[in-house]
Amino acid sequence: MSELLELPPFGPRDDARFLAEMTELTRFHLEASPELRRMWPHWSDAASVEELPFVHVGVFKHLLLRSRGASHQRILRSSGTSGAATSQIALDEASSELQARSSVAILRELVGPERTPLLVLDRAASLRQRGEVSARIAAAMSLRPLATEILFVLGDDDRIRWDAVLDAASRHQHLRVYGFTSVLWQAWTARPELNGMRIDFVHSGGWKKLEAARVTREEFDGTLLHGLAKESRVVDYYGLVEQVGIVYPLCAAGFRHVPAWAAVIARDPWTLEPVREVGMLQSMNVLPRGAPYHSVLTEDLGRVVDGGCACGRQGMRFELHGRVPKAETRGCANV
Amino acid sequence: MSDLSLLLPFDLEERLGRWRAVQRAMTRQRPEAFTRDEWAYLISFVDERLLRAPFEQLSGGSRYLAVPRGPIAVWLPNNVSLLGPLTLILLSLTGNPIRVKAGSRADDLASAFVAYARGVADVFNYVTVEQFDRTDPRNAEMAAEAKVRIAFGGDEAARAIDALPHPLDSIGFYFADRTSETWIERTDDETLRTLARVFAIYGTAGCTSPRRVVVLDGDARHVRDRLAELWPAARDVAMHHASQNVMVRQWAAALGWDAITTSRNGAVLAAGDATLELPRSLFVLPIVTASVDEALATLPPNIQTLGHNLEAERRDALLPRLAQTAVTRVVPLGAMHHFGALWDGWEFWRSAFRMIEVQP
Repeated sequence: MSELLELPPFGPRDDARFLAEMTELTRFHLEASPELRRMWPHWSDAASVEELPFVHVGVFKHLLLRSRGASHQRILRSSGTSGAATSQIALDEASSELQARSSVAILRELVGPERTPLLVLDRAASLRQRGEVSARIAAAMSLRPLATEILFVLGDDDRIRWDAVLDAASRHQHLRVYGFTSVLWQAWTARPELNGMRIDFVHSGGWKKLEAARVTREEFDGTLLHGLAKESRVVDYYGLVEQVGIVYPLCAAGFRHVPAWAAVIARDPWTLEPVREVGMLQSMNVLPRGAPYHSVLTEDLGRVVDGGCACGRQGMRFELHGRVPKAETRGCANV
Repeated sequence: MSDLSLLLPFDLEERLGRWRAVQRAMTRQRPEAFTRDEWAYLISFVDERLLRAPFEQLSGGSRYLAVPRGPIAVWLPNNVSLLGPLTLILLSLTGNPIRVKAGSRADDLASAFVAYARGVADVFNYVTVEQFDRTDPRNAEMAAEAKVRIAFGGDEAARAIDALPHPLDSIGFYFADRTSETWIERTDDETLRTLARVFAIYGTAGCTSPRRVVVLDGDARHVRDRLAELWPAARDVAMHHASQNVMVRQWAAALGWDAITTSRNGAVLAAGDATLELPRSLFVLPIVTASVDEALATLPPNIQTLGHNLEAERRDALLPRLAQTAVTRVVPLGAMHHFGALWDGWEFWRSAFRMIEVQP
């Protein structure tokens, strides 16, 4: 249990408390995960969050890490392109409860506390894989506590079942829709008349495909919101498959905000020194007990920004600058 | 070459003269597609002495009339290393028409080198380079018309090319998924500098790159530490590679390796024993302490090159046992990447000729 979860997500931070909880959590995982101990054999204490050990995000593609003593339930898998390795995260009961509390606290701040039907742009079959859960489903399920019912509205042909959407719309004036950013754009733009409805869209998964299609954020939001009630909104958040329960929403001023029970720093890729300019983001939070994914060095680039945000939120914030660019590998075609 | 007659469609001496012109030009200008190391290697490879060498080995002590066998088809994937241009340089001297299927990207090294050399001298006038993908009907066309098929790529691609209908009197060479190792017994600084130089070219990505260093009856950790001290402070690796090296160090450590990164995350050096699972990545060099028996027992089944610094006596004593493995090259450590007319155990260059035996 973390005391930090009692705080408003984007209010004043208690950095000393955060460091204390992270240090304790790191010690727990070092004892409980022999792999983590072998990665960080000499670590014992941290005077700042910059000194906390991390696990590189790519490690989760090669190893299924588990901390002893946790009640593991399912394996969360990232969606990978064909042939590419996918991340595997061992989910456990105690952490799941904390992660659900975390995501609800963050998302409630963005979409309001009222419970509404949740339309998920995914296939119902995605839920039915025994012992495993996909990243898309995990992201959608973070909204479950705010849902009165959940409808999976993507058919097997990857098209929206508009009959199901219209049926929900006929019964309710306020809906929430969750989808991966690119799926939402592809599937929702041909929607039928839903004028006057309040629909809140929550999406995640990155902007890369839309950038390639030259779709701007204004066009994206404008298209989704066209004709809907003025209270409707679009919430874009950044999150890691490897850090369930933590989402970093994008505010109107263009920054990603960090909840009080998490922290983000940027590191130089060549020295790993913390930097104030753009670097590889390290994302930390006090929630995971089942495996050492509480501190993850990502391959996303970003810059941590000081000072208060024009949107009114307090605490830590950062800009996202895309991913570490891929480098060509030459060899004998067998690499 | 007194025992050999060549029926080339060009004058060999004149052709070698053109290559001298290309070599001179290469020392003045490097196309952007090539790194400094790659270009330096290509300059040394087109040296007249090296280009003459295959002809000297061609006669084999008997009297032969060597006739170009006929059309050659070459398949090169996108990311193929210098092996692409090196193969074309040697084949261009055989007098056969050569049709090359390059990768579908325009910046592959073979296309870049052919374009460059053509700008200097007409050394590739029998070479046609085309770019298309693996589903294009021209693949079948190439196989159907070629007397010699040469393909670089993964095992799957090689099998697909071999399955294309081809003439009964044609021959195929498939340089597919192979791997290499370094075995050392002396761990002096010169050896370790050479090792760092060999590794720096492609990391572990080339088929001739060391995927593992075996310190025979020595101390892997000592070699790792000294190698890290000697590691060249060259330019930074790409950001992605630096990041991957951070990942691989952690992965290797989790697997039980004693792994460190070199300065500025340029590479990962991991010390351990031959039983540990090898982490696979571009810039990780696993270094193991092992006996000859252990090293042989853990040799990968697709081993190609064994680069070494063994004394001749020990090397020769090992040869009968190495011959039981798939190894096709046993060469000094510094020569691991050296390409030649004999490759992967195949005399592919000689096979570009039809040999007519002439007896008195």
